[in-house]
Amino acid sequence: MNITFSEVTKTFEPDITALFDISLNIEQGEFVYVIGQTGSGKSTLLRLITRELLPSAGTVAVGGFDLRRMRRADVPYYRRDVGLVAQDFKLISSLTVYENIAFVMEAMSVPKRIVAERTRDVINQVGLWRRRFMRPAQLSGGEQQRVAIARALANSPSLFIADEPTGNLDFHTAAEVMKILFAINAAGVTVVMSTHNQSIVNSSRQRVIELDNGKLIRDEKGGLYQA
Amino acid sequence: MTTFKYILRDTWRLIVHHWVLGLLTLITAGVMLWILGVTTLLSLNLENLLSRLESELVVQAYLVKDNTLDVEAVAQKIQSLEYVYAMKIYSPADSLAKLQEKMGSQSRALDMLGENPIPFNFEIHVHKAEDVEHLVDELNAMPEVDDVVYAGLVVKRISALSRISSRVALIMFILSVIITALVVYNTIHISLYSRREEIGIMYLVGATRAYIATPFVLEGTLLSLLGACIAAAGIIGVYFPGMAMIQANLPFLRNSIITDRAVIFRFCALLTGFGATLGWVCSYIIVARFINSITKPE
Repeated sequence: MNITFSEVTKTFEPDITALFDISLNIEQGEFVYVIGQTGSGKSTLLRLITRELLPSAGTVAVGGFDLRRMRRADVPYYRRDVGLVAQDFKLISSLTVYENIAFVMEAMSVPKRIVAERTRDVINQVGLWRRRFMRPAQLSGGEQQRVAIARALANSPSLFIADEPTGNLDFHTAAEVMKILFAINAAGVTVVMSTHNQSIVNSSRQRVIELDNGKLIRDEKGGLYQA
Repeated sequence: MTTFKYILRDTWRLIVHHWVLGLLTLITAGVMLWILGVTTLLSLNLENLLSRLESELVVQAYLVKDNTLDVEAVAQKIQSLEYVYAMKIYSPADSLAKLQEKMGSQSRALDMLGENPIPFNFEIHVHKAEDVEHLVDELNAMPEVDDVVYAGLVVKRISALSRISSRVALIMFILSVIITALVVYNTIHISLYSRREEIGIMYLVGATRAYIATPFVLEGTLLSLLGACIAAAGIIGVYFPGMAMIQANLPFLRNSIITDRAVIFRFCALLTGFGATLGWVCSYIIVARFINSITKPE
């Protein structure tokens, strides 16, 4: 799925401009880093793609479809094609690792047998099979992040949004998470990831979109963290 | 079918997760619906009793003594009045015979009167006790009617009792409905609030609003349904022994009490359906509002 921002501005009450006049295009299969200081608008940009937010001006189109025009009833179907990994993991604390991942497919009425197979596959993919009966609180930050990735992978999405997925992780665990994200991208999935991690950005040399105070100040293919 | 299984499982999880709150809701709903049911049944029985008394209320209209009077025409005139339910004409001879029968061995005293003093008269039954006063006014206004006899005070008391009984039943109905609705509403609200983060996550990863909402709506409906079942069982358990006791101690009420088991069971089935519907409506409203607010994009 390609993503197009056309002159997008997002303001919050009372008068905070989080993004100002952003125009960009992300092609299907690209790997894009969104960088910038805290409060530069990275999360707002990602939340506009997942349609948690609507632009105050301009349009955000995903797969050629203007998200503002999307009917509310269609939003869940859109989100099933968008894998989301948040910095705070957004796992359901009362459910086990297995249940956290399975329920995404259950919500799509996938038969139990297929849910079981697919859940096993994605848990194995992130290397957490032995932890499948544990609850999020019993896992380390890195493990929780991997559960969030497994959950995002469950529906085989065409677009993968990761909001600082390595923010709370040590170097070694962050490298493992990145390995998974590159593998997802290698399978043709568009990955948009916000990060503060210079070494990750510098080591992989992907497209870099840099924001500063809500403005797009750099959009560079094969870029480094610092311009 | 698969979705339905998942939803049922989630409903069960919700109930188990908040079992103390659920139990309290179930008990409160049960008690309130029991009060509603018992009040309604008592009111129905009272209505039954009053309507029996009303049916026995008679207005006796005596015509003027005039041989030229067209009794049939007067009868038709009275019959056309809106308050008249049934009417019977008594000739002077019939009336005398009736009086003699009533007096029994003392009826010989009537022979002393010589000529039969009783004129043509009508025994009139009304629809409702409160109609009596209006009918009497209309009869008194008719020149052909000489005198009107009726049980004035009894009529007034029955009318007042009937009105009070209806009002009390209505107030109890409204109160029970409001309290039950509020309890279910609050339980589901707490249930939703405690899982608001989870609801947000579910919506974010692609669960439809219906998929998220249905377990909460089912939880509310199920709690109300179970509460109504408890209320129905309580009513059946109390009503029949209670009525048997009343019949034994107050035999004159025997024909005024609803004792048909089929009627009571049907009433309880209705109450159960009402309870479940009430729970469904309350849960639906709060769930729709809550999920709407939580899933609305900023």
